[in-house]
Amino acid sequence: MALLEATGVTVRFGGLTALDDASISVEAGQVTGMIGPNGAGKTTFFNVMTGLQDTTTGRVVLDGRDITRLSVHRRARRGIARTFQRIEVFDQLSVLDNVLVAAEMRRRWDRSGPQPREEAMACLERVGITQIADLSVAALPTGSARLVELARTLATRPRLLLLDEPSSGLNGSETQAMADLLRNLTEDGLAVLLVEHDMSFVMGLCHRINVLSFGEMIASGTPTEVQSDPSVQSAYLGTDHGAVR
Amino acid sequence: MKLSPANYAAIALTVAGAIALSALNWSGRPVSVATVGSMLVVGVTLGSIYAVSASGLVVVYTTTGVFNFAQGAMGMYWAFVYWELRFNRNWPAPIAIGLVVLVMAPLGGVVLDRLVMRRLRGTPLVLQLMVTVGLMLGFMGLAATQWKGDRGRNAQPFFGRTGGFELLGVNVTWHRFTTICVAVLLAVLLRLLLHRSRIGVAMRAVVDSRSLTSLTGANPEIISGLAWALGSSLAAVAGILIAPESGLVVELLTLVVVDAFAAAAVGRLRSFPLTFLGAMVLGIGQQFIRSFLDFPGGFSNADRALPTILLFVVVLALPQAKLHIRGTAAAASTRIRRITPLSDAALGGLALIVVIVSWSGGLVPFVDEWTGTGVNRGVTMMITAIIMLSLVPLTGWAGQVNFAPLAFAGFGAVMFLKVAGDSGQAWGLVMAALLTAPVGALMALPAVRLQGLYLALASMAFARGFELLFFTQSSVIDSGAGERIASLHFAGWQLDGRGRGYLIFLTIVFAAGVVGLIALKRSRYGRRWMAIHDSEAAAATLGISLVETKVIVFGISAAIAGFGGALFGIQQATLNPSQFTLLLGLPIVLLLVVGGVAYPAAALFGGVNTILFIVIKERLGWSWLSALEILGPGLMAVAMVVNTRGAVTDMGRAFSPLLPWRHDARDQFRLEHATEREDEVGELGLGRPFTRDHVNDLDRQLGIVDLIPASRPTESRGGL
Ligand SMILES: Nc1ncnc2c1ncn2[C@@H]1O[C@H](COP(=O)(O)OP(=O)(O)OP(=O)(O)O)[C@@H](O)[C@H]1O
Ligand SMILES: [Mg+2]
Repeated sequence: MALLEATGVTVRFGGLTALDDASISVEAGQVTGMIGPNGAGKTTFFNVMTGLQDTTTGRVVLDGRDITRLSVHRRARRGIARTFQRIEVFDQLSVLDNVLVAAEMRRRWDRSGPQPREEAMACLERVGITQIADLSVAALPTGSARLVELARTLATRPRLLLLDEPSSGLNGSETQAMADLLRNLTEDGLAVLLVEHDMSFVMGLCHRINVLSFGEMIASGTPTEVQSDPSVQSAYLGTDHGAVR
Repeated sequence: MKLSPANYAAIALTVAGAIALSALNWSGRPVSVATVGSMLVVGVTLGSIYAVSASGLVVVYTTTGVFNFAQGAMGMYWAFVYWELRFNRNWPAPIAIGLVVLVMAPLGGVVLDRLVMRRLRGTPLVLQLMVTVGLMLGFMGLAATQWKGDRGRNAQPFFGRTGGFELLGVNVTWHRFTTICVAVLLAVLLRLLLHRSRIGVAMRAVVDSRSLTSLTGANPEIISGLAWALGSSLAAVAGILIAPESGLVVELLTLVVVDAFAAAAVGRLRSFPLTFLGAMVLGIGQQFIRSFLDFPGGFSNADRALPTILLFVVVLALPQAKLHIRGTAAAASTRIRRITPLSDAALGGLALIVVIVSWSGGLVPFVDEWTGTGVNRGVTMMITAIIMLSLVPLTGWAGQVNFAPLAFAGFGAVMFLKVAGDSGQAWGLVMAALLTAPVGALMALPAVRLQGLYLALASMAFARGFELLFFTQSSVIDSGAGERIASLHFAGWQLDGRGRGYLIFLTIVFAAGVVGLIALKRSRYGRRWMAIHDSEAAAATLGISLVETKVIVFGISAAIAGFGGALFGIQQATLNPSQFTLLLGLPIVLLLVVGGVAYPAAALFGGVNTILFIVIKERLGWSWLSALEILGPGLMAVAMVVNTRGAVTDMGRAFSPLLPWRHDARDQFRLEHATEREDEVGELGLGRPFTRDHVNDLDRQLGIVDLIPASRPTESRGGL
């Protein structure tokens, strides 16, 4: 059974239907992709899964348990972690403290493993930013700040990692390293769901891809299946940069 | 506006509560056409004045996004100007009114917009709140300076005190009739202006999107000036209409119009019809209480407390604030994040103790009065600083606005009086702190639902509620009974509340408090508080419970304030309700924020400034500056538009490179002065100068990825 199942999710903002009966499932040990033109509702879907956005209808089930009515922090404690499209780091804190605050919190519901400080350092190491541990995070360039966010999610020891455009703001080599890291993480059994506009990144990395267009999930399958799907091609024509090759 | 079942339940509950309270406190005065009629006439008049004032708030808020706490004080000020022209100089009424309402008030509004409000755009909300609250104190101070003393100034009602016409057996004076007509007329005109005219539509659009507005051809600068002019005029109208009814007293007039906040909150600060409705409910409700209810002793302020209660209920009934995802603006410099180490805090504390000990011992030449008033001033300074410390974790670190620190302090003082007032035992201080903590946690409940402005309003309502309904209870403070608080018994000493020993004790307490706070800041609690301040959404997705975190920080803050309040009680020896009013609490908040609310040192800065104003006034004998205690903090807060960082931040930056062991500060100083010119790059959202990778990155985002060969390895500090 899939780790996360979201079914029949509908979200309306006034007259605008941002998500229309959309469903998705995410398997442990895989990288799942969610793509779609700008404004398709991808971020909104992430907000629904993490509890930041209420749904009109629909259910979110994590590992067989219905979490639709759980608050944001309770879902986090069950293993959902995310990054934000427009980075949300804690400006008043140093890079290390950004991660530390997550590691300390995690020990509230899972006391195993090393002390928070060691764990935070390990997370920085894993994404490769130990050398900026003492810097103020407010002053970082976008790419580094994204990595801080990623390290911070890892400190919660998530089972499901939701990444909103993880490679934007990273340069070529950093993007490559990010892909390697995500592969590594899934080998450890983590489920990764990512939203991305960089098609070569998505196609090379994801096991399955879901395509969202105007709030509807119009296709779902392996990268090859999705690329040859005619409805996907028409959804992208003229809206994105024709990057589905 | 759609109401949820919970809203209906809240309304039903409120109405039921109101009916029950009315039944319980029924005075038994006759209910006849005449009494009900006169209640309605007075109530509707009052409601009309609230409506005019509240619509000024709404105009400014919808157009500029700034909630003008000074609306009431502005109305008060213009009422005084009108009085000066009309009754002191005997100008004809139409000329005086025309000059004030149509010329001076709008001009004042435009000047304010130009000099102050325009600079608030895009600044943190805390700053906006402080500046308009500062403006409120500024106007009050100005009025108290220009028109000294309450020497029975009276504004005559329009068309005389008597006269008018009969309606259902009730005499409606011409003044009241005019008031009601003016309010109705203004309501209709405002509605037409904002919804029917082109300029009005543009005004409503400004706050949503400045750039969009300029696309429509309207100039946002002119429009915001216009809104402030209009808001100021409406304040003047309300002030001039209320003055004959309530008398010309600075605080009274300001607070009457502060009550209009509740009306504006009913309209969610945006809707004119609902604001009008709220104003009428307020006016008639207050008059109903005065006419037909008799509340027992301690609750005799019930009529005045009604707006506060309404404000609190309305603010709580608002839908829960969504967790806001705001995105971080990438800045462009590399700065080592340094949190003051405990050793530095301890050193600073020691230095302070040494200074105070020698100062109060007469070792410093400047001070010739180390006994009596001089030391007592020092005591006031330290107690104020300790109460200010309570806001450092709460507002400075966790970002929770609180205008009620003095209510917490008062609660602590009362608790000390109850548990250790006779003996003055020091453990009573700890008890006072512990007993005040739950009150703070109570205040956290609205804070869980509310953010920013609404939290500020709720805390004001909280403070005013305490002032009018709690401290007035004879079971709380029995001012008549002359209960006295004994001097402090601590470790075998007996410290008189105005003596040198007490001052030194307070200094040690303050220093210990600073060290303790820094330890908290460096602990997991401090990190959690700063995390919810910076992004509640991100914090929650890490498993941080916002409820729990806010309850803890409010509890700790209240405990510190309660402790400070108990210390204040020992200094004062007797308590009375007027020591803990909302208005007295505001300078405490303002001066701390002026210092830099995130730094414990700012509390000392604030404490020093508190007594500085008193000392300046006395030493220089400037009797014309009679209201400096409110004027000073008010103006300082307004001046924050120029230095938004807070005074101690700059002092620290200038001073710390001079300390021999602060190599980091010297490095930082050099770095900053070397990199100042690179800022332009930051506008592109890139942290460093353009490199080949950035070009590639931009290309990729713009969709021309395929034209460029795969990027090569690079130097990258933040790389994977
Ligand atoms: N809080 C909100 N209020 C009103 N409308 C919203 C809100 N959040 C999102 N929307 C709208 O919902 C739609 C979906 O937005 P969403 O951010 O989910 O898109 P997205 O697929 O993430 O787009 P992008 O690729 O640009 O990030 C958009 O039209 C957006 O304007
Ligand atoms: Mg998005």
